[in-house]
Order: sequence, then C-alpha cells, then structure tokens
Amino acid sequence: MSKVKFFLQQSWLLIFASFTFGLLLAAANAALQDKIKQNEQNKLNKKMAELITDANDFALVLDDVVIQLSKSKTVKADVYKGTDAEGNTIGFAYIAEGPGFADKIKLVIAADAKLTKFYGFKVLASSETPGFGDKIKDEFYNSQYTGTPFGKLELVKTGDDKKIDSEIVAISGATVSSEAVIKIFNSYTDKVQEKLEAKGLIANGK
Amino acid sequence: MANKISTVSLSDTFTAGLWNENPVFRLLLGMCPTLAVTAAVKPAFTMGGCVIFVLLCSNIVVSLMRNLLKPHLRILMFTLTIATFVTIADLFLKAYIPDMSEALGPYVPLIIVNCIIICRAEACASKNGLAVSVVDAIGMGLGFTLAICVLAAVRELLGTGMIDLYFFNLPLPKAFVPWVVMVMPAGAFITLGLLLGLVNKVTSKQT
Repeated sequence: MSKVKFFLQQSWLLIFASFTFGLLLAAANAALQDKIKQNEQNKLNKKMAELITDANDFALVLDDVVIQLSKSKTVKADVYKGTDAEGNTIGFAYIAEGPGFADKIKLVIAADAKLTKFYGFKVLASSETPGFGDKIKDEFYNSQYTGTPFGKLELVKTGDDKKIDSEIVAISGATVSSEAVIKIFNSYTDKVQEKLEAKGLIANGK
Repeated sequence: MANKISTVSLSDTFTAGLWNENPVFRLLLGMCPTLAVTAAVKPAFTMGGCVIFVLLCSNIVVSLMRNLLKPHLRILMFTLTIATFVTIADLFLKAYIPDMSEALGPYVPLIIVNCIIICRAEACASKNGLAVSVVDAIGMGLGFTLAICVLAAVRELLGTGMIDLYFFNLPLPKAFVPWVVMVMPAGAFITLGLLLGLVNKVTSKQT
C-alpha cells in the first residue's frame, strides 16, 4: 500500500499532464484532421489534373492494389479514374512510392485509358538533395516520361532525352534518385494493369 | 522600487535573447533547423514562428508547474510538454500552411529535440515566474527567428539571385549568376561561419 502511495506521490503530476496533453492533442487532431485530409486530396487532384489535362473528374476505382516494395514491405496503392464531361475514361492515375536517396519518394503516375502510354508523373513528396536529386521534378527528367510506352522502363546514363521510348536518361549527379523513380514506376506497372484488367476497367472505356 | 527592478529585469531578459544570449549566434543552440531550413526565407520564417509558439507555450506551462516538479522527473515533464505543443504546431501547419509544412518536412517535429526550448525550460521557466518566462520565451524566440531569417536571406539571395517573400521579391541584377552552393548544405555552414565571425568581431569591439 505504501508503495502505491509513494508511486502516486512521485508521479501524479506526470499522469495528470499525460491525460491533459492527450486530451489537448485529441481536440487539436479532431479540429484539424478534416482540413488536413482535404488539403492532401486537393493536392492530389491538382497533380492529377495537371497530368490528365482533359479529365474533368477523378474517382477512386481501386484501393487494394498490393505492391511488394521489398521482401518485407508491401503497400496498397490507390488508383483513380479520370473522366471527361461525358463520362468517358480519359486516363488513370495512381499513387506510387518507394525509397529514394534521402527518404521515401511519393509520386502520382498517370497513364492513358487503354494503358498504352504514360502521361507522366508528379512528385507528391520527396526529400531528395537540393540541386541534385530534387531535379526529378525538373523539365529535363520529368518530360521524358510523357508519352513513354506503358510498361517496364530502363535508366540509361547517356542518350537522347527527347526521344520518346522506354529508356530514360538519368540526371547527371543524381543517378540514385533517377533510378529510384524508375524502380517506383516498374514496381507498380504490372500490378496496376493486372488489377484494372481484372475489374474490366480498361476494356470498357466508361 | 520593486516594480522598477522588475521592469528592468524583464527588459534585460527580453533583449538578452535578441543579442547577448542570442540562441544561434551566441549560444550556438538549435543548429539543426539553423542549417537545415535556411535555404529560403519563407520556411525559415515559418520555423521561427513555430519555435516562438512552442517556446512560449512550454515556458508558460513549465513556469506554472515549477513548484510541483520532482527533480528526477523534470526532463520527462519538459519533453512531454514540448512534444504536445510541437504536435499542435505541426497539425496547424499541415492544415493551414500545407506548402510550408511540406517545405519544412521533418524539421517541425524535430523541434521537440531543439536545445533552445529544453534549455529555456530548464534555465528559465523552471526557476522563474510567469512574466519572466513569457518575456524570455518571446525574446529567445524572436532572437532565433531573426538569426535564421538573416542566414536564410543571405543564402537565398546569393543562391537563387532573389529573395522570395509573401509580399515582395528582392531580385539581384540579371547579370548575377546564382551560387548554387549557397542553397546546399555547404552554403549553410559557410554562411553560418561567416555570420558567427562577424558577430564575434562586433561583440569583441563592444567589450
């Protein structure tokens, strides 16, 4: 009994503070969580609209595409369908992620309605080195993905960056980041295609 | 008389954070955000705002409970208090300034281990009343914000050729070729070293 009393005497403030701060955090989270989720969705919608320019609306069509990133790590990818004003499917966009040079790189990748070519990608989150790895956002590297055939991509150190094919020319001084983006693309391509075909979303067109 | 002494003391407490005990230039505290988020003025300013908020709130709470603190549990209480307000600041940024939240990345949650805040809780708030603790938090917070904004202004101006602020842009002449190294980690160390040298030179002349 005396041990309990001693414990309470020593730690009552800590216990009280933990509960009080916990309540404060719960209140702050409840007040701001909707706004934070809305911001994230707005950002995603904006990036998807920049990639699939003819689409008026985006709807989540798949949320259970399981991607094996490594032997021990899997993630679930969300796939969105972009439709025009008449409801025709213009393309698909999916959120993809993988390890970069510094931290995780999170992309939104878009492809056409028949999955024949990529529309490109936009970076949702990355902490790549300023001046080097963060050039994955730049025109030189990013534009190489526009119109590239949907399928496995390959990184090359030298080549014609204007040529539209499955060979992507690496950023000088940022090979790891360039390769990380390619790996992210290649990890998702087959699984996304497989799931969309299984759901009959590619052939239908609507 | 007592009031006069108290006023002088508060004024000294406030100005100490701005210059004599500036956390960045004189105490060399909070070096992680000082080096990491000063590539541009906007994120540096936002980081400064977050630090002022957390420092103010933690100093108020620590000062109010200073007589109840058990010596061996005080660091735990400080950390708990600081972590709470850092999380609130992080949520607020994500909700209302998402661009800055993204630009600052992990450095907002890392305020929890910022030495300035735990140092002020230990050295000031746990030993002084509410008024001194509040003034100390504002002085130290402003001192930190000013220091990282000066560092960021130098780096951004030389590294990109202009300072991009919310209300105005300050460009250098077009003939200027930006020094990319200044927005990279090496630029942070070089600029901090030069500014520390300058501050030391000024203070050595004063004494």
